[in-house]
Amino acid sequence: MSDATMTAARGNPALDLLRRYGIWVIAAAVMIVLPKIFTSGAALTTMCLMGIMIVFSLAYNMLLGQTGMLSFGHAVYYGLGGFLAVHAMNTIAAGKLAIPLPVVPLAGGAMGLIFGFIFGAVSTRRAGTVFAMISLGLGELIASLSLILRGFFGGEEGITANRTKMLTLWGVRFGPQIEVYYLIAAWCFACMIAMYAFTCTPLGRMCNAVRDNPERAEFVGYSTQMVRFITFCISGFFAGVAGGLAAINFELMNAVNISGAQSGVVLLMAYIGGIGHFVGPILGAVLVVLLQVFLSDLTGAWMLYFGLIFITMVMFAPGGMAGLIMLHLPLWRRGTLLQIVPSYAVMLVPVLMGLAGLVTLIETSHHQLVKAATDGPAMKLFGIAYNSNSLLPWIVALALMGGGLYLGKLWGPRMADAYSDAAHGQDSNKREAGK
Amino acid sequence: MTALGLHDVHKSFGITPIIRGVSLEVGKGERHAIIGPNGAGKSTLFHLISGRFPLTEGSIRLNGEDITGLKPYQINRRGLSRSFQVTNIFPKMTVFENVRCGVLWHLGYRYSFWHNTRKLKDANDRAMAILQQIGLADRAQLPASFLTYAEQRALEIGITIAGGAEVVMLDEPTAGMSRSETAHFVSLIRKVTEGRTLVMVEHDMGVVFDLADRISVLVYGQIIASDTPANIRNSKAVQEAYLGQALESHGEAEH
Repeated sequence: MSDATMTAARGNPALDLLRRYGIWVIAAAVMIVLPKIFTSGAALTTMCLMGIMIVFSLAYNMLLGQTGMLSFGHAVYYGLGGFLAVHAMNTIAAGKLAIPLPVVPLAGGAMGLIFGFIFGAVSTRRAGTVFAMISLGLGELIASLSLILRGFFGGEEGITANRTKMLTLWGVRFGPQIEVYYLIAAWCFACMIAMYAFTCTPLGRMCNAVRDNPERAEFVGYSTQMVRFITFCISGFFAGVAGGLAAINFELMNAVNISGAQSGVVLLMAYIGGIGHFVGPILGAVLVVLLQVFLSDLTGAWMLYFGLIFITMVMFAPGGMAGLIMLHLPLWRRGTLLQIVPSYAVMLVPVLMGLAGLVTLIETSHHQLVKAATDGPAMKLFGIAYNSNSLLPWIVALALMGGGLYLGKLWGPRMADAYSDAAHGQDSNKREAGK
Repeated sequence: MTALGLHDVHKSFGITPIIRGVSLEVGKGERHAIIGPNGAGKSTLFHLISGRFPLTEGSIRLNGEDITGLKPYQINRRGLSRSFQVTNIFPKMTVFENVRCGVLWHLGYRYSFWHNTRKLKDANDRAMAILQQIGLADRAQLPASFLTYAEQRALEIGITIAGGAEVVMLDEPTAGMSRSETAHFVSLIRKVTEGRTLVMVEHDMGVVFDLADRISVLVYGQIIASDTPANIRNSKAVQEAYLGQALESHGEAEH
């Protein structure tokens, strides 16, 4: 990626090509093969949602991670794009417009771009807290409008469409979910490439400069406001495309899609995945969708777990999942990755203990508070049936948590030592020897 | 030919006047140093010229063109570039990228989102050439925050000159440096400002008398003298107001 390694690799054009495009080929292959491995309907629906959210969270991270703009209202562009796409689909179905379905997300993108332009012109005048507050205000404004302007937003029920009643191209009607999956995957892939390419452009680089040091950016000839504004428009476009894909996928858009909650989810996805790296939001989108789908099946308190994961990430891994992976990249390069596996494995004991205790505590409380009134105090957790009224599960939960915490404190420093040994140990020795 | 002209420039913060009527002409290709005691308003004057603060009164011309009231980026695009007293770089970006940020606008890439920066040979070559000039070529791929203080100061100058500005303003370029670093830096500044107009604020009198063609002495927001180094050194008024002290302490530092 760096220019020096680029020049170094130029000697071997095949290797250079592989280095530069290999990851994309792998990504495309994964997206093509996934539905062949996970064939169930639920899995397919989940993967469709992942594709949509990857586009949305990458669009969001153009602002947060790359330009340092914290938006609390990006669902506006996602939602407006989605609503326009639903209307476009209905217009097409009525025979008034001859556009094939695969192009509809572009209408969503155009909507996102237009409103990004209008709202961006106001909100990007300022950065930092002021920008965040304006985005929050605009988000709330549009969210409440969505309940008032029933013609466009359909009130609380929202607006439905039927994606199969479209102009058909090559006999593909997009009835079965698998066809929609490949449509979403293709758009997702194209958007990923486009947004990655954006990071390599002069404007994309100046986004980072504006994020790092807006004052200095002004003294090398760039209006920080203009950098923010153009980026905001482009981000709005991609958010709109994601909304358009969502409209096709769900055949429904309602007030929830444009609400502050949706804006919050995209922020969580980007942050949990890691805003400092391009892949971060992709990882975050995949994880959060998985949590939303599976955790919500497993437990009624899934939102609480979701929140705890977010807090844990913010406090202990501000670089997100991508940041954690990048921490281990130097170890991989030095071939010392395996060296730390034992100390991580040891650490797994207190982590699992603490988690088990925490889950027991949360689930037992949840049962007591929510379900006990109707279902009685008997419950089952980890395959063990017990009575949530008795004292024992509470004692066990607290003991597990306490034990996990104690062992974690005890062994944590050892793990940190093992990591720094693997990462720098020999390196610093070498440097000293060199001197 | 005047590169930079200040006409009766005033600046007050609230009711406190900081700059009280500064008029100054800097010729093309001249190396002009602004000296004066702490709190004289040297940095404020820099901020006024580069557009960071608006003027209260007066006007500033760059190559005969009025730049009063323009934004920093507009002034930069017209060919005036400045460095900062406190290192002001892009800490998370690589050293190479720091310099390239200074290059992009001036090669006409502006807000382009359709060029691939890796393929911009002119921008990359120019950034690399500047890194070579400032002696940071072997540090190119490091994050800028990893550099030593002196290296960051050099990078600061690299970013400043990267765009090819005709007028370069350096705010205390050698502040906080050791003697050997300072000596190295003076030759660096001489080299990179070749053929350009240089305006600098500097406390190290050795550097000032070594580099400057002309010196202006700023005391309490007014220029009390503006002349050649030799005349400034012998000026009674300057001796009384500032230089006596400064030269003494400079002399002490040499022991």
